[in-house]
Amino acid sequence: MLQKLLIKFAFFLNNSKSYKATKELFTNYLKNQDYIYKKYFDVFMISLIIVSITILVYEVKHYVPPWLDFFDIYVVTFIFMVEYLARVWVHNSWHREVVKEYSDAKFLNKEFRLWLPTKKIILGKLGYIVSPTAIIDLLAILPAYRPLRVLRIFVLFRVFKLLRYTKSINQFLGVLGSKKFELYTLLFLLVFITVTAGIAIYVFEEKSNDSINSLFDALYWALITISTVGYGDISPKTPEGRVVSMFVIVTGIAMISFVTSVIVSSFSEKLTELKENRLVEEINKEEDFMIICGYGQMTRMFLRYYEQEYAKRYIIIEKEKDRVEEAIKEGYRAIQEDASRYDVIDKFNTDYAQVTLLALTNSDVANIYITLNAKAISREIRVISRASSERIAKKSRIAGADSVVMPSLIANRMLFAAITQPIMYKAFYAILIGQHLAQLDEVNSLYHQKMVGKSIKELELKEQKLLSIGYESGESREFIFNPSQEYIIEEGDILLLMGRQVSIEHFKERYKEVLYV
Amino acid sequence: MFSRRQAFLFGYNKKRRFIARELKKEAVRLILVVDDESSYNQAKEDGFREVILMDLTDDEKLEKLEIKDDDYLVCVMTDHYMNVFLTLSLHAIFPKAIILALSDSPHTTQKLKMAGASRIIDLYQVSANRIHNMLHKPVTTKLIERLFSPQEEFSFKEIEIPKGSSLNHIMVDDFDVTEHKVILIGMIDKRLSNQFIFATSGLENRFDVGDTLVCVGYNEDLDAFEEFIKS
Repeated sequence: MLQKLLIKFAFFLNNSKSYKATKELFTNYLKNQDYIYKKYFDVFMISLIIVSITILVYEVKHYVPPWLDFFDIYVVTFIFMVEYLARVWVHNSWHREVVKEYSDAKFLNKEFRLWLPTKKIILGKLGYIVSPTAIIDLLAILPAYRPLRVLRIFVLFRVFKLLRYTKSINQFLGVLGSKKFELYTLLFLLVFITVTAGIAIYVFEEKSNDSINSLFDALYWALITISTVGYGDISPKTPEGRVVSMFVIVTGIAMISFVTSVIVSSFSEKLTELKENRLVEEINKEEDFMIICGYGQMTRMFLRYYEQEYAKRYIIIEKEKDRVEEAIKEGYRAIQEDASRYDVIDKFNTDYAQVTLLALTNSDVANIYITLNAKAISREIRVISRASSERIAKKSRIAGADSVVMPSLIANRMLFAAITQPIMYKAFYAILIGQHLAQLDEVNSLYHQKMVGKSIKELELKEQKLLSIGYESGESREFIFNPSQEYIIEEGDILLLMGRQVSIEHFKERYKEVLYV
Repeated sequence: MFSRRQAFLFGYNKKRRFIARELKKEAVRLILVVDDESSYNQAKEDGFREVILMDLTDDEKLEKLEIKDDDYLVCVMTDHYMNVFLTLSLHAIFPKAIILALSDSPHTTQKLKMAGASRIIDLYQVSANRIHNMLHKPVTTKLIERLFSPQEEFSFKEIEIPKGSSLNHIMVDDFDVTEHKVILIGMIDKRLSNQFIFATSGLENRFDVGDTLVCVGYNEDLDAFEEFIKS
């Protein structure tokens, strides 16, 4: 009976849109690095931690007003508790596991045992609870318990909690982690020499040196000496002790140099990777951005004219190291990666941001592969691919490219137009680069709702010195050239107008009204 | 469409076959000039009758080409050093001819300009513009692509107002072009200047004999409008 009820409850949760949306929202804020609003939550938590630490430290020697104490004990701790519980909650999903197991059991005509998925989930949650970060989170709640002053030492855990929200510290630890073997070896050596030297000084000086009364004193001296700190509170008195000192000092200097060189080399090895990761993280925070694959002549040209427009909302992915260096030297944002690899494109925030990918390498094969790769990750990525011929363009479209650019074809057509229709060529070239008294512009009825329901004649284009060239139907997305004056604008239609910029701006202002969908 | 002219295409390869083919369809006398045997054979194989094989660095041979003042000289050599050199030679020998050249970088564009090219099309600049337009003005881009495509059912037409035309001495504002199902983009009003004036510029213009109108429309409507003007 209880099992049936629980299964029903699991299905209810699984089908509940609001429950799913709430859990997804919490997951995004707590775990999803690509979620654009997560940074605000992180900043809020960091501020809260800093405020809380300041209060706790200030309280040691000063009077703190009761309201501030109240804020720290109840508000901050409450938020930390909610955060901790939410993290445990979003770690895994009981209902999803139950539904999956139940469906599998039904399909295979097997008996369903509720405790199996439940046990799996509980073990998963326990695994999370005993993980270092979760322990830090839990211990960070403890300083709020005022009667037990010793618990205040756990204020340190609030400092540690900052680790979760500060990437640079994590990156530093990550870099050190990559040299784990070298650092452990050095640590082992340090312990070995400290213990050996400590025992030696204890044996040689325990009787003749008043400062060394136990093995702990000897080990303390050895560590202070090997670290080259040398407080001077304990110093060797016998010649044997001094020999041990000399040995420890020389070893200490050598070890410090070695540790420094290990850390520096690991940083220099990882520096490029860190910089590139930072670039990707930065761009992932944008709501719309562009990935340009390949740094060749066309990318150069594109950025030369339009870099300012895209500001920090673009990134170049180039396979060749020399080209990446060249791009960086020219001041562009580039990383050395292979855009045809799934994981390379997958690390971009394709779920929440509007991503445009330009496949502009010199190789048709590579451009098609990049297009396929991008579309395999998300159909929402808008791909513009370069092709050298009509046949390749066809293949690019099959691969999923939304648009295809053929430099050779464009140039050919322009040359052809320049010879056969020179006046038209000049006119349209001027329109295209927007340098003349006339421009072609698009007016979307979704943002200019006042146009909807009016005929083209009623828009009084002639009076406003405007020409209607055509419109793209909101329904069929088909372009209708030179429509009749009686055509009535429908919702979603995009009107193509020609005229001076001032006329177009005036027209847009006149019919501006946004439809909220 | 326009008065019969000659066009000399310097350089011939797979990528430029399109221009040669399309020009051949137009009322243009097309002469291909190449400096290597394989291009020569390829051009002949592709059905071009007037193909000249010669040393393009030799000015004396270039002078012998029957180039008139208003001919089009199109420099599309694969070797960009040669393209710039040829532009310079042609400009020196035929200063009044219109030289069109293809470039692949801003540096080459600048050199071609200095060498005397009248119009330069930078392969990558036009592509960069196209990408930008695709992103910001997709409908416009689609239209332009269709207008520039020779296979499309609608296109541009440049129509010169001949003597005895019914349009002569009529003010542009008083004439309703929409009745003819075409769009008047602009015109060259010879009375005012030789510059192109857009229909939306707000200036009061008058149609006169010798003016050139640039119209967009379906091919059959454009032909009918041309007939109307010439009537």
